[in-house]
Amino acid sequence: MKGAPTAAAAGPAGLRQFLVRFPFLPALCILIVLLALNGIFEPRSLSFRSLTGIVSTYLALMMLAVAQTYVVYAGDIDLSVGAIVSLVNVAIVALLQQMGGGGLTVLAVLGIGLAVGLACGIVNGLVVAWLRLQAIVATFATSILFTGLALWIMPVAGTPAPAAVWRTYGGRILEIPFVFWAVAALALVLAILARTRLTTQLLAVGDDAVRAYQSGLPVTRIRIRGYALCGVFAALAAFCVTGDTASGDPLVGAKMTLSSVAAVVLGGCALSGGVGTVTGSVLAAVIIGLINSLVYFVGTPSEWQNLVQGLAIIVALMAGVLVTRWARS
Amino acid sequence: MKKLSLMALTAAATLVGSALVANAADYKIGLSNGWVGSEWRTQMIAEAEAAAAKWKDRGVNVEVVVQSANVDVPGQIAHVRNFISEGVDAIIINPNSPTAFDPVFAQAKDAGILVISTDAEVSSPDALYVGIDQKGWAEASAKWLAEALGGKGKVVAINGFAGHPANEMRVAGYREVFAKYPGIEIVNEVNANWDQAQGQQAMQNLLATYPDINGVWVQDGMAAGAWRSIIDAGKTGDIAATGEIRKDFLDLWVKNSFKSGASVNPPGVMASALNVAVPMLEGRELKTPAKDGVYGNALYLPIPFIDGDNVAAIHDKLGGEPGYYSYTSSLSIEQAEALFK
Repeated sequence: MKGAPTAAAAGPAGLRQFLVRFPFLPALCILIVLLALNGIFEPRSLSFRSLTGIVSTYLALMMLAVAQTYVVYAGDIDLSVGAIVSLVNVAIVALLQQMGGGGLTVLAVLGIGLAVGLACGIVNGLVVAWLRLQAIVATFATSILFTGLALWIMPVAGTPAPAAVWRTYGGRILEIPFVFWAVAALALVLAILARTRLTTQLLAVGDDAVRAYQSGLPVTRIRIRGYALCGVFAALAAFCVTGDTASGDPLVGAKMTLSSVAAVVLGGCALSGGVGTVTGSVLAAVIIGLINSLVYFVGTPSEWQNLVQGLAIIVALMAGVLVTRWARS
Repeated sequence: MKKLSLMALTAAATLVGSALVANAADYKIGLSNGWVGSEWRTQMIAEAEAAAAKWKDRGVNVEVVVQSANVDVPGQIAHVRNFISEGVDAIIINPNSPTAFDPVFAQAKDAGILVISTDAEVSSPDALYVGIDQKGWAEASAKWLAEALGGKGKVVAINGFAGHPANEMRVAGYREVFAKYPGIEIVNEVNANWDQAQGQQAMQNLLATYPDINGVWVQDGMAAGAWRSIIDAGKTGDIAATGEIRKDFLDLWVKNSFKSGASVNPPGVMASALNVAVPMLEGRELKTPAKDGVYGNALYLPIPFIDGDNVAAIHDKLGGEPGYYSYTSSLSIEQAEALFK
């Protein structure tokens, strides 16, 4: 571990250690501050309905941030996650249209969607880890391939998903909105995954691939698994997009890729690999959403909204990075 | 320190001021724009804001709130949810997807909010489209091109984004028109992603591959790029090509007497939508319900056309405007009200 506290920092050493153990704490603080600010400027934005809306909207980005986190763990990056979202979205919507929207059919189609995401992830993994192409360029190339496939399946946006899909996503189970159950399930899955050997191995490869190799880890295979996991979570993100939009759109995920990278960094992961938590990425996905809303609620003139959003994200990034650096010094 | 407190005071005053204005407003209308990559969109919002201000003369206070930023589809769904949280009376949106807003528009309607999309049609039965017919837009310029070529010749097409709904409607539009002219042969169709530089590049390639083409059908800002390649190849007099509506281009058009014609997709569409929204909020009903378009929820606006006959006059009219300014038109309050019972 890089972040062992030094004697010079005896006073706040406890806090530092705490921050090293829980690197997502800065993101959590920023999230709470943003929620409070949103509440001050638009009290109704903290109503139960609005909060449900935020989770419904950003659950897809949370999933995609998680997807991106697993490849970033190993020091890789995946610029095709948005294209995978589009591909899985049109694939399942097209299949549902052909096969009808019965309960079992929907589950079967979702299974196929997961398989498509997994296949895309494995393709990425093979191209990057096995063929040893630069991750940033290789996944950019595969993103064009996946977009092409999506356009081949559905040349133009428009096919509606069966009502059951979005009624479930936007509905309630036992009086609790479905999306909150989904978040709880996600938390459970992430907690289990965090305890698996794969997570440790990915982090080890990202920390120092050569040393990981020398210590006998199958580096290539581990990186491919990271991409495969990423593909699966991108497919889950596509399910959320489909649930919230109830339709197929071959370009729907295109702009989500960079948001996922931003969320990963904001959540405390190092793009060089080896450091980070999925919790941070999930929180950061919500932060990005709340920043966008806050910029509007404070009354920023429209021509400045993009600029202020960018600045706010940079400030949030800086705050996170500075705190982490202080904790690790 | 003094400066800081002064700033705080000003900020507080602005807040109080805007709160007062908010109380005085009869209608609050949210405008959402999901892409800020062109001046056309900026002009679209500015014209809508100006249109809202004009209602004051009629004794109707229309307050507009704007969310405009480069967002993905979920980001624009968040725009709509923010408007719902805020409790606006109407939402006018230039949507990033034709279909993805169905569920959230249903929620908006449940909250008693009027939803109007403009510039791109949406499938939602809970929304109304007020804008031009993108297919008709393409048909008009394709017809002009076919006539300019005397009904025969080799034609190439330079299109926007494959898969973008407006692009697909436009492609369908020109193909239908050219099919009616047996002498017109489409020798190639390429995509240049609505980018002027890519349009120029595509045109260069096409001119190199097909030196004998007679006509070019090209959309929007890519036309300026394509025409630049035509000028560079010294074929200004030999080729007829569709044009676009920015003043920069009209300057070139008039100076070089291009053989060109341009369908106008005016940035004023959002202003038109706003002028339709206000009478609707007042509870008035359209004379003919909006039932046009593939989704059966469209109210199509007239599409102006620029060709050799009127280009000089239009160019004069835009005299003092900056080069990126688009020729525009919109429904006035009176014209909009004439649509209602």
